[in-house]
Amino acid sequence: MERGCLTLVRPLPKQSPPLLTRGRREVEMSPSEPPDDRRATNDRPMVAQTIVFSEVDVVREGRSALEAVSLTLAEHRIGIVGLNGSGKSTLLKAIVGLVRPTGGRITVDGRDAIAEARAVRATTGFLFQDPDNQIVFPIVAEDLAFGLKNHGFDRRETAARVAAALDRLGIGGFAKRRIHELSGGEKQLVALAGVLALGPKTVLFDEPTSQLDLRNRNRLEDVLRVMPEQAIVVAHDLELLADFDRVIVMEAGRVVADDRPARALAVYRERAA
Amino acid sequence: MIDGIGETGTTLLHRLPAGGKLAGLAIVATLLFFVSNPALLAAALPFGAAAMLATGRPPAVLLHQIAVPAITIALVGLADLLLVDAETALVVVLRLAALLAFAVAVTLTTTSAELADTFERALAPFDRAGLVDAPRAALTLTLAIRFVPLVGQEIAAIREAQAVRGLAANPVALAVPLIVRILVRAERVAEAIDARGFPPPRPDRSRSPTSPMGGAPSPSQMPGDLHDHP
Ligand SMILES: Nc1ncnc2c1ncn2[C@@H]1O[C@H](COP(=O)(O)OP(=O)(O)O)[C@@H](O)[C@H]1O
Ligand SMILES: [Mg+2]
Repeated sequence: MERGCLTLVRPLPKQSPPLLTRGRREVEMSPSEPPDDRRATNDRPMVAQTIVFSEVDVVREGRSALEAVSLTLAEHRIGIVGLNGSGKSTLLKAIVGLVRPTGGRITVDGRDAIAEARAVRATTGFLFQDPDNQIVFPIVAEDLAFGLKNHGFDRRETAARVAAALDRLGIGGFAKRRIHELSGGEKQLVALAGVLALGPKTVLFDEPTSQLDLRNRNRLEDVLRVMPEQAIVVAHDLELLADFDRVIVMEAGRVVADDRPARALAVYRERAA
Repeated sequence: MIDGIGETGTTLLHRLPAGGKLAGLAIVATLLFFVSNPALLAAALPFGAAAMLATGRPPAVLLHQIAVPAITIALVGLADLLLVDAETALVVVLRLAALLAFAVAVTLTTTSAELADTFERALAPFDRAGLVDAPRAALTLTLAIRFVPLVGQEIAAIREAQAVRGLAANPVALAVPLIVRILVRAERVAEAIDARGFPPPRPDRSRSPTSPMGGAPSPSQMPGDLHDHP
């Protein structure tokens, strides 16, 4: 599989700025450079938070959605796989306090996911499966401004961050577009720009490619490959996770494997069969 | 008309502050309500048409914007003609037509963000008095603008799925899945809005420091306001 080399980044059709520019400087790599070192492709420092689950239980409607989950998540790229209903979304939502543990505790860089949810959400973005549920304003730039306003940014800072976030994903031309005129993949990029505009340290992705066509799926893979933020990704698209640092396999609310991608995915394939 | 909200542009009307435009619209509406001389009302129409043209939109777009409300006005006029008399019908039609023209001019040149902002600021005194939650009220308005067109898409999707299964068009068969879909979507949207940090911090009500990243939350800004935790 083609990996890492940014000359392989697929350009957006009808879009002049290249995908993933970092401020003024374009991300470039000569083919002679090692193809697999993400760190070399960024002039932003890689960031990550330490997310700790301590004996977390979640009971939803009388059924156990998470059971005695203990995890320390600190790697840059973490994948989560599991069958439908195994608790993957519940796990992600619990990190930002959208689901309340019925037992145990979750902290993000030491802050409690429930008691300090506002502070946790300021550094931890969430990309939902359906961007239509996440985008609130009918115009792209307005929607990005919504999140920034919620986190107390003033007008000038907001305008600068909106522009930077759109440019970074190669969709600078979208600022004034209407949401309902965008394709599904474009909406997904807009939702992601809204998350990135806040300057999070971590982005949680819930099945980000499940509604995308192959081109948009590849575009998202490229974004994941170079983004300096920590990414925790729930996916059925196992190829997306192949070069991750760590993959966790969930089954009926429990962690049944937690390993390097190749081994964890092998466990998942075997158990799913 | 809902779909017309949200255009940015450079005309004078676009550059006028949203609050001024809305206040102007309110004054015009009040005046039109008190005037019942058909000649005077008819004289307002060219001004209304001029305001619409000042939006810089092509006439075809303008006609599209007013088509549905115009039919409604015609029906109201017809009802007045049949139930009351010709003069009342004329006055009502002229009044509503003039109002429609000014309203379209304002909505076409005011983005939904400006509208929400203005709404929020206008409600601020009531918010301080604890009577309404201004950010939430403004968000409700925005969500209506954003999601009303989506209801049309949901209806189309349901109809298609039912047609494939050989179900004839039937209001009950449509309403039930539609309500379920809307409730599910509402739940997900509320969750996403929570995740995006809504509501914004309130420097006036909370004693916590207002650092750009929110700082430590005070109990009054605890999360989960929009979304029920199981
Ligand atoms: N909003 C909800 N209310 C009650 N139970 C839920 C809700 N969402 C999910 N569940 C239940 O929690 C369990 C885990 O679901 P979820 O985390 O969504 O799984 P996954 O994302 O792995 O498919 C399932 O049994 C599901 O039925
Ligand atoms: Mg899920």
